[in-house]
Amino acid sequence: MDSLLQQIYEGVVTGSVDAVQTNVQGALEKGIRPKEILDGGLVSAMAEVGRRFENGEYFVPDMLISARAMQAGMTMLKPHLLEEKVAASGRVAIGSVKGDLHDIGKNLVGMMLEGAGFEVLDLGVDVAPEKFVDTADKVDIIALSSLLTTTMGSMKTTIQALKDAGKRSKVKVIIGGAPVTEAYAEEIEADGYAPDASRSVTLTKVLLRVN
Amino acid sequence: MDKRTVMKLALDWKDPPYVPWNINLTIPAEEKLQAHYPGKDLEDVLQNHMVNVGYDIYFFHDIGNDCVQDLFGVVWDRSIDKDIGVVKGQVLKEPTLKGYNFPDPLASIVYAEVPGKLEKFADRYRVFGIGFSLYERAWTMRSMQTLLMDFYDNPHFVHELLNCIADYNIAQIKEILKYDIDAVMFGDDWGQQRGLQMGPKLWHEFIYPVLKRMYGVVVEAGKKVFIHSCGDVDELFDDLVGIGLNCFNPFQPEVMDVSVLIPQYRGRLAFYGGMSTQKTLPYGTVDDVRREAQKLLGLGKEGGYIFSPAHDVPKDVSLENILGFIDEVQHQPGFVNQS
Repeated sequence: MDSLLQQIYEGVVTGSVDAVQTNVQGALEKGIRPKEILDGGLVSAMAEVGRRFENGEYFVPDMLISARAMQAGMTMLKPHLLEEKVAASGRVAIGSVKGDLHDIGKNLVGMMLEGAGFEVLDLGVDVAPEKFVDTADKVDIIALSSLLTTTMGSMKTTIQALKDAGKRSKVKVIIGGAPVTEAYAEEIEADGYAPDASRSVTLTKVLLRVN
Repeated sequence: MDKRTVMKLALDWKDPPYVPWNINLTIPAEEKLQAHYPGKDLEDVLQNHMVNVGYDIYFFHDIGNDCVQDLFGVVWDRSIDKDIGVVKGQVLKEPTLKGYNFPDPLASIVYAEVPGKLEKFADRYRVFGIGFSLYERAWTMRSMQTLLMDFYDNPHFVHELLNCIADYNIAQIKEILKYDIDAVMFGDDWGQQRGLQMGPKLWHEFIYPVLKRMYGVVVEAGKKVFIHSCGDVDELFDDLVGIGLNCFNPFQPEVMDVSVLIPQYRGRLAFYGGMSTQKTLPYGTVDDVRREAQKLLGLGKEGGYIFSPAHDVPKDVSLENILGFIDEVQHQPGFVNQS
């Protein structure tokens, strides 16, 4: 791997915005293709961050600073990726369901998905089923987040709203949040459940058949 | 034997005559129970064994638009969650305490109801609750996401903020010790469904030394230390016991093995909570609820356990399930309802 890509990788893994920005700039100036910088630097580093999180070596603060560094690099790369017509691995609409105002879990999932090369459309918190339905034609995955047992029911309502609108088959629906379980995902006929932000990436890749 | 004595025996693992309990309800659950017992004081229905003369979050005033503001200046949106709400905005926009004035820890509002409550519930175990006692107070002021990054970005600021919050709490503890109380219950959620939010390294570096200082004041006064910390935090029990912790709440069965932990910490740490509010209470049948309550009461019969749902009973729990566990705890041999 080019030493600049290696330094971008290290910058993301250690959460250093400065290191990432300096080395992304350097890589662009050196003529390394944006897609190579994205995959070899940012995406592979976030995969390592996810691995460390799953292994209990990294925790939420580590993920947050790594995601921030990744986003700093992504902001610099985006115009170049657009110029080269590099498409995202897939599009994901994410939101905390109706009645739920909590956002940190949803934000972490969004950051990890973005770090894996997906385009993320963040719908925010307390998102009405109709709003998710409105995005169904534009995305590949709808990701629903809920922190509370009292708001989990909105996940079922949202899936029902997609069915009622005749759009359920157009998108995959994944769910997550503290009280959410695999069994609940099966019960409400979601396409998948992820126990944490890192594993939402694996799930999304499996559902979209992305390597 | 009065409830206070039963609690003391349970906390000291000294064969209480029955397992004491303390049940808190969210507003919707309370309304549900009240509708079932029209005109009746729910305190008589619940027969709780503790009286909390402190606070769960802090003192608020209404600022309109379904929002309230606490004395620290933090605004809480209660448009949906009427019990706690969600923090809106950021009191500390920059990583500094310059220009910020802490509220008065000795404000009369904090202690105004203490004598009345102690008199009204004279037979109960007396707890001074300090909700949002450290990490949580800090993130309400700074926002959770920002504070979690501050651990790395601005460590000196985090140390300063946490120590200022601790000084504030210690001033309140010293004041409340002038009353005849039994314990101080700190509230501070560190866990998530799996593991600690900030991980053990940052917890030990930032949280632990400040806890040691706060718990020390309570221990030195000969009172018990309780902590309420949601999530998967049992990896911290030995450290917490080492600095004086006596009782852990909420003891969520979804994230820790209650039947292993009670015997494992026999004589060292008592547990308060244990009844599933993520699964059994909202989704189980009344028979499931009764079975789980009976199992918990069995685990605690030799002491070291106070029965309670692992959270204020949420609104999605049926009346039948609420009545189910109330019936189980109140029909324990040895308990006499004196109301």
